[in-house]
Amino acid sequence: MKEKIKNYASKNGYTVMLLALMAVLLLFFTITKGGDLWHLGPWKGICMQFPEFGLMTLGVMFCFIIGKIDMSFVALGDFASILAVKYMEANVTEGMSNGQIAGVIGVAFLIVIVIAIIGGVINGVLITYLNVPPVMATIAMQLVWLGLSTALTQGYAVSGVPPLYSEIGHMMVFGFLPMPLLIFIIFFAISAFLLKYTVFGEQLYMMGTNEKACRFSAINTHAMVIKTFVLAALFSCFGCMIMVSTMNSAKADYGTSYVMRVILILVLAGVLPDGGVGKISNVLLSIVAVQIIATGVNMFPELNAYYASLIWGGLLLVVLVITAITNGGKKFSFKKKKTS
Amino acid sequence: MSEYLLEMSGICKSFTGVKALDNVNFKVRPGKVMCLAGENGCGKSTLVKIISGVYTKDEGEVLFEGKKISKITPAEATKLGIQVIYQDLSIFPNLTVMENLAINSEITAGRALVNRKRWEATAKEALSKIGYNIDLYAKMGELSVADKQLVAICRALLFNAKLIIMDEPTTALTKREVDALFKTVRQLRDSGIAIMFISHKTEEIFEISDDVCIMRNGKNVYSGLTSDLTPQQFTFHMTGRELTADHFIPKNISKDPVLKVEHLTLKNKFEDINFELRKGEILGVTGLLGSGRTELALSLFGLEHPKEGKIILNGKEVHIGSPIQAQNLKIGYVPEDRLTEGLCLNQPIADNITLSSLKRLCKAFGLLKKQDLIDDGNIWKEKFSIATDDVRKFASTLSGGNQQKIVLSKWLSNDLDVLILNGPTVGVDVGAKQDIHALVHELANEGLAVIIISDDLSEVVVNCSRVIVMRDGKIVGELEENDITEEVILEIIR
Amino acid sequence: MNTNRVKRIIGRAEFWIFIALVVMCIAIQAISGGQLFEPSTVVTILRSMVVDGMFAMVCLIVMVSGGFDLSFPAIAALAYSLSCTICLNMGWCQTNPLAGFIIAVVIGAILGMLNGWIISNFKLDTMIVTLGTQTFFLGVSMGLLQLKEITSQLPLGFRTFGESYLFEVTNSAGLRSTMTTMFIPFVLLCLIVSFVLNRTMFGRALYAIGGNEVSAERAGYNVKRIKFILYTVVGAISGFIGMIRVCMARQSIPKALIGKEMTIIPAVILGGASIFGGEGSVFGTVCAVAIITVVSNSMLLIGIDSYWQDFFNGLVILIGIMISAIQTMRRNK
Repeated sequence: MKEKIKNYASKNGYTVMLLALMAVLLLFFTITKGGDLWHLGPWKGICMQFPEFGLMTLGVMFCFIIGKIDMSFVALGDFASILAVKYMEANVTEGMSNGQIAGVIGVAFLIVIVIAIIGGVINGVLITYLNVPPVMATIAMQLVWLGLSTALTQGYAVSGVPPLYSEIGHMMVFGFLPMPLLIFIIFFAISAFLLKYTVFGEQLYMMGTNEKACRFSAINTHAMVIKTFVLAALFSCFGCMIMVSTMNSAKADYGTSYVMRVILILVLAGVLPDGGVGKISNVLLSIVAVQIIATGVNMFPELNAYYASLIWGGLLLVVLVITAITNGGKKFSFKKKKTS
Repeated sequence: MSEYLLEMSGICKSFTGVKALDNVNFKVRPGKVMCLAGENGCGKSTLVKIISGVYTKDEGEVLFEGKKISKITPAEATKLGIQVIYQDLSIFPNLTVMENLAINSEITAGRALVNRKRWEATAKEALSKIGYNIDLYAKMGELSVADKQLVAICRALLFNAKLIIMDEPTTALTKREVDALFKTVRQLRDSGIAIMFISHKTEEIFEISDDVCIMRNGKNVYSGLTSDLTPQQFTFHMTGRELTADHFIPKNISKDPVLKVEHLTLKNKFEDINFELRKGEILGVTGLLGSGRTELALSLFGLEHPKEGKIILNGKEVHIGSPIQAQNLKIGYVPEDRLTEGLCLNQPIADNITLSSLKRLCKAFGLLKKQDLIDDGNIWKEKFSIATDDVRKFASTLSGGNQQKIVLSKWLSNDLDVLILNGPTVGVDVGAKQDIHALVHELANEGLAVIIISDDLSEVVVNCSRVIVMRDGKIVGELEENDITEEVILEIIR
Repeated sequence: MNTNRVKRIIGRAEFWIFIALVVMCIAIQAISGGQLFEPSTVVTILRSMVVDGMFAMVCLIVMVSGGFDLSFPAIAALAYSLSCTICLNMGWCQTNPLAGFIIAVVIGAILGMLNGWIISNFKLDTMIVTLGTQTFFLGVSMGLLQLKEITSQLPLGFRTFGESYLFEVTNSAGLRSTMTTMFIPFVLLCLIVSFVLNRTMFGRALYAIGGNEVSAERAGYNVKRIKFILYTVVGAISGFIGMIRVCMARQSIPKALIGKEMTIIPAVILGGASIFGGEGSVFGTVCAVAIITVVSNSMLLIGIDSYWQDFFNGLVILIGIMISAIQTMRRNK
């Protein structure tokens, strides 16, 4: 039994670390805040807040697995949601029935999907056909989308979201499941399924390890890269549409801090930007841990939200150093040799 | 003063309990070329790193110019006059030739500021040592490999080198460039510098070296004059066994060619290539580096796109635009560079084996069962006797030979008509080499058409029923069964 | 030999950036009916180049060494807001801003040291490390220290220094513009960086490490120490730039530089630096910053709504990146 646990721990370092982190966090907030944490309120807050950046994280995770990075996803999502809100604003008139409004919302989502596909394809083409390094390509595209959004909105927030949309966004499905959470669960299931049970998922990991070898193994690597970036764009645009329902508006710079937060979550989860590694279950743990930090900090009235930033940054540095020490010193390989 | 420049005796070195060097003895004479020969993983590079001070020896004695050296550090090695030219040449591709030449000595001198005039003078002095002429302001990365190597040699000479160690310097050179390099090496030798030349290529060793030291499994099995050895003895020392050449005898060659290439031309790479390939035969394509052999293979696999000429497969003209199309046309390709083109090292063995046959293994809607991959992997593990206890282990845990078996099985698990093998046994130990050859023979006799591209002439001779020799992008000779000998090929190849 | 030299100049990225800058300026001059080269416009453009240009220098030296720094705006922000808060509370810098600058530089150096220590000791990916420190520093300034915005109470020394100018120009319409004193530190920084990169062994070490780190180590450079020094110096300079910004804006806002790296890094890349290291020059970087500043400042001159400036900036960078990508592909063929 002991051996088994040890074996599990050495194989799933990140899972163990994230679980321990969560335990420490929960314990800390329980001790300092007593029972406050264990009321419905904070947990409802957690469930309402993480789906928007959680979705984005899942999307960018695909890019990380093939060893690439996307920095443009929030800007693209903002642009898509601005168009969607503008469309809804223009087409929802007073006296429309709910059914008609739902139709308009449906078309708005179609617009979002089309924009996401365009954005993803542009990223993919730049990276795989023009060989632009992913960081450069997506930073440039981020500026372009941000610029387009600013030009379209003159820097103001676009309101005019039909009340029905926010209502749906705040709906409790079956009376207990917040809509954003339900959406997140659905997308999570889709991602997990893609990674674990499909050829696409298998090829993603192999591509991340050695793209050239995959091309030599008759895999259409160009198509794979484009598909991955389209997927990332879609996830992120849906994340932004959740944001529209919570903010009741769309703006060129909503969620800009999510770019860094998403990368941070992924690195904490052991989805390294070198590619080829990463477990989706760890990503979920990492998303929740990061949100618990934010919510926990929120429970202290004397602390502002930037305390979360402090903890996140510090945490990332500590984890990086720990992994560097444990992996870099060849300690792992030595241990393995001894047991076998 | 000793007769020898460098004497090493009883050198031992272990890494975590594994003996990499076991009682190695050899001597280097000044003004002579000494060849350190051995197969991959025999301990050559460990030995070099001990001489250059990167590693410290566990046991043994080192004498340099008759004086005992107790502890070598990299700085001390430089001071003694030992210079190593590594295989990657340790150059800065983004800097100019002048900077590459001068930077080492400037750092050693502990300078803080850059003085262009001094740098230029240093660089010119370095070039003058072998009378080599090159634009000092050219960017290093834009030079040919041969030029880079000469710059690296010049740089080494700046330190009043008495011993220059060259680690596999000819790997990426064309024949002409090798000749030029050897000229420089002889020039250095005649000026009294000792050269230690690391190689595993028989012909080169016999051409250039005065003394030879052969290593096998961390021991040196022979050291002495090169002229005392015959090539056969040399190979015996290298591999540790008399190679029983098991010549391939084709059993059932089909009447009609499965693949026909007519007037195939790829600009600047090869031109007017014509040949036929039948089922059941193994066609060898040989030629030196830069002869167009690899580009020809890539063209048949859809990674290069010749504008002129025809590829006819089973009587129909085909266009091969990508590896996917090649796969659909039942053409497989085992690439030259296993590590960068063949394997996903940090992924399980099973996933590597099934990488190109995922389409076959998946069910409707691209669904995949991980267990199917493992089962498939196990089939090939048995068939090929891949040395692992679990196909879920990473490919990086295997030796070169076993890794090559993975790349082979990746393509053999597809239904193929034509299999192209580019350098199938580069960096593979002797045992695995024979396994792979035997398997290829078996496959050919089962009706597969095989092309082996190789510059290892003994491999070509043993395995091929027909050989095409390429030079400068053209076919310069075609040999049939009994005419195929190393001597004949060598005659044509140059 | 002479044709070789011409070829080499033509082959360099900064040559083409310079040509692009000149062509663009001429085009805008023509479209706007000669307004671009009005002295007041030129002075305004030069003025708005100062902070971005200096940040670009910092970013450049890191990128030359093969690193990718996301944290320099966060360092600058923490350094200047802390320095201003200290000066305000102590009543310093009412006439002479020097103390504030020194404090900011010291704080910047300390923060940079943290970067340097982690990167050089643990050989970690610079982008991820600086992402961590960036988030951490933001948390320190806004969360832990709760630094406040300082606007009207800003010590007078900073204010007067920021308002000082070298000369004054008047355009045809009688509008007066002043050439800020801050332009001098900008020019000095460019000259110093250029000198260090080209004329010192430390600078050549940065290129060497960016070109091939293993070779640099074999050649005898102490790569670990060089990287540590590099990130410390970069932190110190960032603190200094932060103070310049405070003086010019006449306010200290801790949040003001969030996301700045996302506009500086692309500009440096446009100027010929490679994210893989070993490439880039001061001249190219300055030209690239000039292009972006000119585009931003001349939107109104050529009759485009100024809200489009971000878009056009993005477009310029995208096009620049695509051209260099296509060139590399051609060269490799």
